[in-house]
Amino acid sequence: MTGREVVELIKQNIGVPWREQSYRDTFKFGDPDAPVKGIATTVMVTFGMLKRANEAGLNMVIAHEDTYWNDRDETKDLLENPLYKKKIEYMRDNGMIVWRNHDHMHAMTPDYTVVGSLRSVGIKGGENATMRPGVLPIPETTLGEFASQVKRLTGSRAFRCVGDPKAKVSKVLLGPGYATPRMSVETDVVIGGEQQEADGGFDNVEYVADAASLEMPKGLIMLGHVISEQPGMEDLGKWMRTFIKGIPIQYVPADEPFWT
Amino acid sequence: MKLTHISRRRFVQIAGTAAAQFPLQGADAPTAQALIQRVQSALGGEWQADGLDGFKAGDPNTPVKGIATTAMATMDVLKQASKAGANLIVTHEPTFFGRQDGPAPPPQGAPAFFRALSADDPVYLAKKEFIEKNGLVVFRLHDNWLSSKQSDMTAALAEALGWGKRRVNPNDALYEIPAATAAETVALIREKLNLRGGLRAVGDRTAVVRRVLLFPGFLTPAVMWKRYTEADMTITGEVREWENTFYAADMFTAGEKRNLVTLGRIASEDPGMRSCAEWMKSVAGDIPVRWIPAGDLYWRAV
Repeated sequence: MTGREVVELIKQNIGVPWREQSYRDTFKFGDPDAPVKGIATTVMVTFGMLKRANEAGLNMVIAHEDTYWNDRDETKDLLENPLYKKKIEYMRDNGMIVWRNHDHMHAMTPDYTVVGSLRSVGIKGGENATMRPGVLPIPETTLGEFASQVKRLTGSRAFRCVGDPKAKVSKVLLGPGYATPRMSVETDVVIGGEQQEADGGFDNVEYVADAASLEMPKGLIMLGHVISEQPGMEDLGKWMRTFIKGIPIQYVPADEPFWT
Repeated sequence: MKLTHISRRRFVQIAGTAAAQFPLQGADAPTAQALIQRVQSALGGEWQADGLDGFKAGDPNTPVKGIATTAMATMDVLKQASKAGANLIVTHEPTFFGRQDGPAPPPQGAPAFFRALSADDPVYLAKKEFIEKNGLVVFRLHDNWLSSKQSDMTAALAEALGWGKRRVNPNDALYEIPAATAAETVALIREKLNLRGGLRAVGDRTAVVRRVLLFPGFLTPAVMWKRYTEADMTITGEVREWENTFYAADMFTAGEKRNLVTLGRIASEDPGMRSCAEWMKSVAGDIPVRWIPAGDLYWRAV
């Protein structure tokens, strides 16, 4: 089976119209017509993840995010960049193929990025969630206790919280990756991946900090892009195994990049 | 307002100072509007009126008793300002939770998930009420501060970190600092900037740091790609993770002993607004000017 045939099978099984115009969901590296020995699913095509995939004998990477550190994967300003050259040299030497599955994942029902993210922080009821899951209930707790649960379950070292840790919370709104939802009247805690801190479309950080100053119980948990959006890539792999047979499909997570 | 409306004693006080050339609109104090006009003239250059800067809350005709500058006019900053008797707050970032800086009609067909601030939002209303009840006026000074020759957010951040005299080239981001490991340098940064949970680093924590690049605010991929390998540590406010965070992570995997440190956008801009307060004293006459840091709003789970 070739890389192109793998993508064709995804197209036949995905259950939503194929977005030929997507600049995101395209081959980013390698020969689409080369044979696939194994598939690695991941959120981010980091150099470290590429090495682990290759060492596991998986030469095709299906990633949710970009390869060359920008959403459009533009390379015109990188052609002389030593890091870019090293990364593509590694992929070339090892016959790797990279394809991105971003827009189609978010169009699917369920959206595995949301399903995986909800599960990873211990929120129930998100098994069939779509890209915008709505407010979900959790057993009443404090923001601080809920954040401790998130830390324990995700193993994240570096996620950030805003709000009063003693605030009583029971209603959660989650959006993984950069789709961090805005805080709303119906929501106690917003969980996101990343978001511009200030001067954006809606500045959750300031809003939640101000709510805390006004003694309104609100909280914000910013997991980081990888921690928030990665768990669903394991679900994507499981789903692909239902129609791709005879090739190993493995979840090869990218590492949380931060130390603190 | 004619000078005859000012007491003789007051006239003597202000005559010969920069303030004397501006008409005073109250018996004792200029209005916020008049004071901002002084700021505008003193900053020189073309004032961009159609950008982000302008009055965001309160009555611009309020006489100014005191001025507070800050990176962001959070509720905590407003409370501190009011308590300290400062009623004109000059903020670098928005007051009302986004670039729009206030409620906006929902865009046609926009999902509720991403909708803008609504006019009946309880946090918005409570903040606005606090501002009005306490006679505060909030002015955003962003574009016109950054484009002025008086502002140097980079130097101000360096000064706050104790590296003020260590700039390699004038008007540049590169500094040579006393050698220490990345972990030690981060500990120093935390202490100097009084940080809580916002700082995150990517790279080799054991690397020895001698050269640092300082980019308060937001760091673009173009600058990152061009300059990251010039220094042992690049320090900025924030980046997009799928861009610069993973560029730094890939550098580390490729064997580069460097680090990218994000402080938080506000934490990185606080020192620059301290320098704004220092500068503003030169145009404020006898009105007290103080800096109120917005601080690090993040904490970590335990």
